[in-house]
Amino acid sequence: MSMALEAHGLGKRYRRNWALRDCSLHLPAGRIAALVGPNGAGKSTLLNMAVGLLRPTEGTLRVLGQSPGGNRDLMDRIGFVAQDTPLYPDFTATELITMGAKLNRRWDTSLARERVERLGIPLDRRTGELSGGQRAQVALALALAKRPELLLLDEPVASLDPLARREFMQVLMGSVADGETTVLLSSHLLGDLERVCDYLIVLQAAHVQLLGGVDELVSEHKTLVGPRRERASIAGVSEIVRESHTDKQTTLLVRTDGPILDPAWSVHDVTLEDLVLAYLAYPAPGRAILGVAQ
Amino acid sequence: MIWLAWRQHRKQGLFAVVGLAVLAALLVPTGISMHHTFTDSGLAECLRKLGTAEFLKPGADCDSLSSVFTNQYGTMATLGMLSVFLPLLVGLFWGAPLVARELEQGTHRLVWTQGVSRLRWALVKFGLVLAGTLIVSVCYALLLSWWLEPLSQAGQGRLAELNFDVQGVAPVAYTLYAVALGIFAGTVWRRVLPAMAAALIGFLALRFVLLLGVRAHFLPISERTYPVIGQIRPNSTLGDWIYSVGIKDASGKVVAANQQIQCAPAVAGNPNGPCAAFGPGAYNFQLYQPGGNFWPIQFIEAGLFTALAAVLLYLAIRQIRTRIA
Repeated sequence: MSMALEAHGLGKRYRRNWALRDCSLHLPAGRIAALVGPNGAGKSTLLNMAVGLLRPTEGTLRVLGQSPGGNRDLMDRIGFVAQDTPLYPDFTATELITMGAKLNRRWDTSLARERVERLGIPLDRRTGELSGGQRAQVALALALAKRPELLLLDEPVASLDPLARREFMQVLMGSVADGETTVLLSSHLLGDLERVCDYLIVLQAAHVQLLGGVDELVSEHKTLVGPRRERASIAGVSEIVRESHTDKQTTLLVRTDGPILDPAWSVHDVTLEDLVLAYLAYPAPGRAILGVAQ
Repeated sequence: MIWLAWRQHRKQGLFAVVGLAVLAALLVPTGISMHHTFTDSGLAECLRKLGTAEFLKPGADCDSLSSVFTNQYGTMATLGMLSVFLPLLVGLFWGAPLVARELEQGTHRLVWTQGVSRLRWALVKFGLVLAGTLIVSVCYALLLSWWLEPLSQAGQGRLAELNFDVQGVAPVAYTLYAVALGIFAGTVWRRVLPAMAAALIGFLALRFVLLLGVRAHFLPISERTYPVIGQIRPNSTLGDWIYSVGIKDASGKVVAANQQIQCAPAVAGNPNGPCAAFGPGAYNFQLYQPGGNFWPIQFIEAGLFTALAAVLLYLAIRQIRTRIA
């Protein structure tokens, strides 16, 4: 399977602090992936390294099979919407589209214009006078006009109101429905991405906590409820992510590697949200991410 | 890329054209009237007759004509010297925001992720803005060189402080330096206002140090002497830049600083006269740069500032390519 993004032991240090450390991950081509983590977890750092804005301090990073950073051929194939969707405030949408046409070898002007027009955004108004939602849409139209193989979005909806958020996600999903574009979008809220993503990367405290296809992750994880028991070792459980106890009973969120046959436990399915919250609440710096179904 | 650079900076170009037009509207009419007065009053003719003799005999000078002229236009000349700050303005408003505004608004993440390398982005932007800077500063330097011509000849000469700084090739180099400094400061501080503040301090500091401490020593200093008792005086219309004067006794020891005195032989013996304090053989001295050194010093200073501008631009590009994200 070809990989849109592949990192091995990737790390980025700002002065003394590691924004990202020992990060190994892979994103298969064709997926729509959510990069989830709290603010400061390293999401932007990872995305900025992927588009060559930042250089890794250590480790390797391959994007569409190439190394980013001063790589013009690669930039032709990547669309990027940066955090806060920056646009030149004194440019109109038309001028921004012209700019894209001048700066890129692969560029679809009519596609960009159509997208902006269809959303009712005036093409000849300065983007500084547009609403936040409209600016985000223009930024997305610019990124899509490259007809990118990989589309990276850094918290594209963080500053939008709920309505604009939903509209943005609808437009995004409508435009990548052909399945030829790999998408990686970050958010500190899973809720924005839950319905649209089929792949998940959870970052916490500069480390990857969870990685894999959404369906596989959900089916692998179970909630077990049983009589109170400390430090249990259970057949079929590869890792206990979270445990909580009351006087009488113990509740575990576990990753399984086989069926749970012990009748003492009642087994329940988990939701994606439970899963992410559990991993974010109980980060393990060196948590093994190998063995995840790919 | 050229389209983008032009689109981003055309408004600044328009402001510069308007600024130059205002400057020209002020300087051209006053300059024409000054040139006319300079000729019509006979001062031009008088100075031409005086020639380039180093010393003048009593009565052979144009002092009365030139003092009338400098009285008439002195205030205007002072106002004209305010244009010494124009290069700084160009540096603050063209140079400092060039990179800093992109970083402040985050738009570098937009433009650096298109299909253009940062190096090319920087070279085209810098190239366009520096070309504009060059055109504007050459116009400004030519205009002021022409405007100051009569004032320099009638007064202190074009090597004098501030006179020197607004004419010739030096102002062009100052402007390039100011813009390069602004750009570099923007890549270091990454916000417009701190970059402007840094450029302001950096520009003024270096200009003052060079003006007050270094410029006089670029070339060997000349010394001119003439006796306390006597009647020949130095020709003050040669355009020399005199920056130290005083009186020495016959043995060459400085006996009075910052003054010049002369008594005709007929009154020299008067015990209450101003010259009585100085013994026989005392003489006045002047340390100066000859007016003829104007262009060599201009080129030395212009070369220095241009070289500094080049270094700053190189450092700015290095910052852009490797340090900023």
